[in-house]
Amino acid sequence: MAKTYDYLFKLLLIGDSGVGKTSILFRFSEDAFNISFISTIGIDFKIRTIDLDGKKVKLQIWDTAGQERFRTITTAYYRGSMGIMLVYDVTNEKSFENIKNWIRNIEENASADVEKMILGNKCDLEAKRQVSKERGEQLAIEYQIKFIETSAKDSLNVESAFYTLARDIKAKMEKKQEASNPAGARSGAHQIRANEQQRKPTSWLSRCSLL
Amino acid sequence: MTNATIQEIEGIDDYWGPAFRSIYEGEGHEAFVQQLDERIKQHDKEIEKLCNFHYQGFIDSIRELLQVRSHAEELHAEISNVDANVKDTTDSLCAKAEELIRARRVELNIAATIEKMELCLPLLTTYSKLKSQVEAKRYYPALKTLEQLEHVLLPRVGPYKWCGQISADIPRLRQAIQDASMADLRDFLENIRELSPQVGAMALRQTQEMLGRSLASIVQNKKDMAVLGIPTNITAGPQCPHELVDFSPLHRCLHIHSVLGAKNDFIQYYRSQRKQQARLVLIPASTNLHDSIVGVKNYLNAVLGFFILEEHLLSAGAGLVSKDWLLDMWGMSVTKVASTLRTNTSLITDPTLMLSIKHQIVLFINTLKCYGLPTDPLPMLLQEMAEHYTEVLMQRWVGVFRDILDNASFLPIEVANQDQYDGVMDTFPYDGDELETEPFPRKFPFSTIVPAVYVQVKEFIFAWLKYSAGLGLGGGRRAAAARHSASLLLSRSFTGCLSALFRRPLPLMQLVQIIVDTQYLEGATLCLYEFISNITGSELVTTQTAGSMFQAARDDAEQQICDKLEKKVDEFLDLENYDWLLVEPTGQASSFVTDMLSYLSGVLTSLEQLPERARVAAVRAATNRIATRLRNLLLDPAVKQISSGALDQLNLDVIQCEQFAACEPVPGLKEGELLEHFASLRQLLDLITGWDWSSYLHDVGIEGGKYSLVTPRDAATLLEKLKEAEQKSSVFSVLKKNERDRRKLLDTVLKQLKQLQNQDGS
Ligand SMILES: Nc1nc2c(ncn2[C@@H]2O[C@H](COP(=O)(O)OP(=O)(O)OP(=O)(O)O)[C@@H](O)[C@H]2O)c(=O)[nH]1
Ligand SMILES: [Mg+2]
Repeated sequence: MAKTYDYLFKLLLIGDSGVGKTSILFRFSEDAFNISFISTIGIDFKIRTIDLDGKKVKLQIWDTAGQERFRTITTAYYRGSMGIMLVYDVTNEKSFENIKNWIRNIEENASADVEKMILGNKCDLEAKRQVSKERGEQLAIEYQIKFIETSAKDSLNVESAFYTLARDIKAKMEKKQEASNPAGARSGAHQIRANEQQRKPTSWLSRCSLL
Repeated sequence: MTNATIQEIEGIDDYWGPAFRSIYEGEGHEAFVQQLDERIKQHDKEIEKLCNFHYQGFIDSIRELLQVRSHAEELHAEISNVDANVKDTTDSLCAKAEELIRARRVELNIAATIEKMELCLPLLTTYSKLKSQVEAKRYYPALKTLEQLEHVLLPRVGPYKWCGQISADIPRLRQAIQDASMADLRDFLENIRELSPQVGAMALRQTQEMLGRSLASIVQNKKDMAVLGIPTNITAGPQCPHELVDFSPLHRCLHIHSVLGAKNDFIQYYRSQRKQQARLVLIPASTNLHDSIVGVKNYLNAVLGFFILEEHLLSAGAGLVSKDWLLDMWGMSVTKVASTLRTNTSLITDPTLMLSIKHQIVLFINTLKCYGLPTDPLPMLLQEMAEHYTEVLMQRWVGVFRDILDNASFLPIEVANQDQYDGVMDTFPYDGDELETEPFPRKFPFSTIVPAVYVQVKEFIFAWLKYSAGLGLGGGRRAAAARHSASLLLSRSFTGCLSALFRRPLPLMQLVQIIVDTQYLEGATLCLYEFISNITGSELVTTQTAGSMFQAARDDAEQQICDKLEKKVDEFLDLENYDWLLVEPTGQASSFVTDMLSYLSGVLTSLEQLPERARVAAVRAATNRIATRLRNLLLDPAVKQISSGALDQLNLDVIQCEQFAACEPVPGLKEGELLEHFASLRQLLDLITGWDWSSYLHDVGIEGGKYSLVTPRDAATLLEKLKEAEQKSSVFSVLKKNERDRRKLLDTVLKQLKQLQNQDGS
């Protein structure tokens, strides 16, 4: 039976409430935008399959609630993710400052080798901008994370942000496989599945009560 | 002889013939001639002697005659002289005399003329009076003068040409007067056409004042006037609306026509003119009455003014207007007014405008009553307008609700301090006893839309009651109607907005909150009824239960929740990546299953606030979906082979799901209910992994058997796949003895199963 995908990557979107996480995901998965703000409750996900160098990559992207009151629910999802998008709003200084806190959160809860990326969203609102692109860049360099400014509204860089993160995860994974599978002696009968690399002994079922 | 003849001749004067004959015939000729000569000589001697005798006297006479001649000449000269003198003197005299004669004749003529003129003079002055009267438009006296002229003065004066002219003029004048008075009538009609809106406006104002009059305000008025030193019954300007109009031209016209003997024609004419005017009045001046209140006001003023004037003429119009005629025309008009208003108001979308129009119509009706005009289709119209008003309000509130929903976050309200808490409690009736004791931040179970919608429904009720005010309805009826409209607003408009909302892809949690919110809104309807009975001053009616006002919306939302959950399950299952030829199972559940189950239990916990029914339905839908999808996976014709290792892996995953189902993720389920969704899958897996074919084939067709849910077809399908996989893995190896036995058994079972399938005809 033909496999529906070659890789499955689990990505996570985090950042303050209202910075546009849901909007970015909505743009990426449905190529649409909604001006009204419906704050996310708890957690939700969307799936989109992309093509990376001839490989079918399924992205399961988890969208978290930015509001403080859902923090416990959302941090439970850090562990399983392979890539995390840290989103701030360029028109909101506070959301930018909070990026540091979000990074600390990641350090405390996610696996150490998780790929990260910082997104400065709403860059279409030039007139209301509070955080310059340079400051975003500066912060990213400080943490050695990639950075890009996006606009879910104008569909700017959203696509490329996800592709970049997916590509980096893929590269990192292939490098690891290379290391554990020297001389590339792979049977080729079927792909080794990406998520197998992530599998931890702790069952997700045991977190039933976390929510 | 001879002597005798001469004597004879001398003696006879003339008869000389016989004498001459005798002479001629006798012989004595000589003697006769001698005698004759002698005779002659004798006569000559005698003449001579005579002449000598007279000569002296003759000369004297001539001398004297010559003297006479000179004297005569003298006399002649003298006479000529006198004659010339006389001639001179008499000439001038004659001229004077002639002059005198002429003057005398003139004098006579003048006297005669004066006499005649004196007769004519009254006629002429009257005539000129007539002219000036006509000119001054005093037609009635003019007519009287005309009469006098015709019957008294003209016959008195002789048959002069000018009299003839005047006589000929009389009918023309009479016609002119009639025409002119008609023109006056037309002016009058024109005039009242302009004035009647003012008349109507004044009447409406008076009604308004009368309605607004209370004992207190009258007393206050009197006091005010006393303070200002105004005598109480000072009258400035017209007191009655009809006094705005000067009816005298009309009365004059009527008089004139009565004098002319054309009173009836005139009445007829007047009525037909007014009828035409009525027609004009009934067509609103501005075509769009639904644009502003001004148009409606003007229209009603004009109509009212028109009929107030007619009504006034009924009592003071000397038969110009009859009761029947008036009522007839009014009947026609009021129907038209009603239909015009109906058409126009049906287009209005502005409730404030509707209210003003309603107010205007109520005033109109009250005024009509004052003037004794029947109001009839108008109350009916108000009723219809009430329905339209409700529609308009509902439409408006649809907008309001849509706004609320568009800007809603659908998050439970969280308040950080007492002020915020009180803010919510003031707007919405919530029994917050438990919440009261909790520390801040306190969390209400409902979202912001609940108080917002509640407040808006109250606003709606306010707006709605505004219309029914002044219609003379009792409090009870008003309250009932208001209750009806309010619940209609919620069950139709608001629910409609909710349905529209559901068409948007709403996140699951928001759907849950909406369901919760509708419950709180429903719970608050009783308070709305209380509110209604408070403002209408009627008794509280509690019999009417709002019950399932939003049930449709809730069902919709619940269905969506189920759909969404199923979709999520599908998405997880799409991540399935089974290796169907797996040799050794990993000993762990597949990650898509563990992810899915943790996601689901998270979601289900947050469905806590949902009514049990909805929660149960959601979890049932999700579990059923999982079971179905897993089972389909196993039987999928695209999967040709399944190794027992793969089967073990799937079994492990199913066990995870069963555990999830068994620990009853939501309360309110029947014991083991969820597990039943997995029953057929479980039996199939047990059968295959347990290799329990003998009991399967033995019990087949028996109700309640261990594998009663496994059809021979499914069993066969799966067995085929297993067989395929085994064959593949052992193509090159020599089969061991027990493996050969197993293969043989497998074939037998397959054969049996095929047979069973054929028996069933399936
Ligand atoms: N102008 C502009 N507005 C945006 C953009 N992205 C998001 N928004 C708006 O920002 C608001 C918040 O967007 P969401 O995507 O719901 O925010 P969120 O980060 O998911 O918020 P939480 O779910 O509460 O954590 C919405 O009103 C969006 O329309 C953007 O790129 N440009
Ligand atoms: Mg969000």
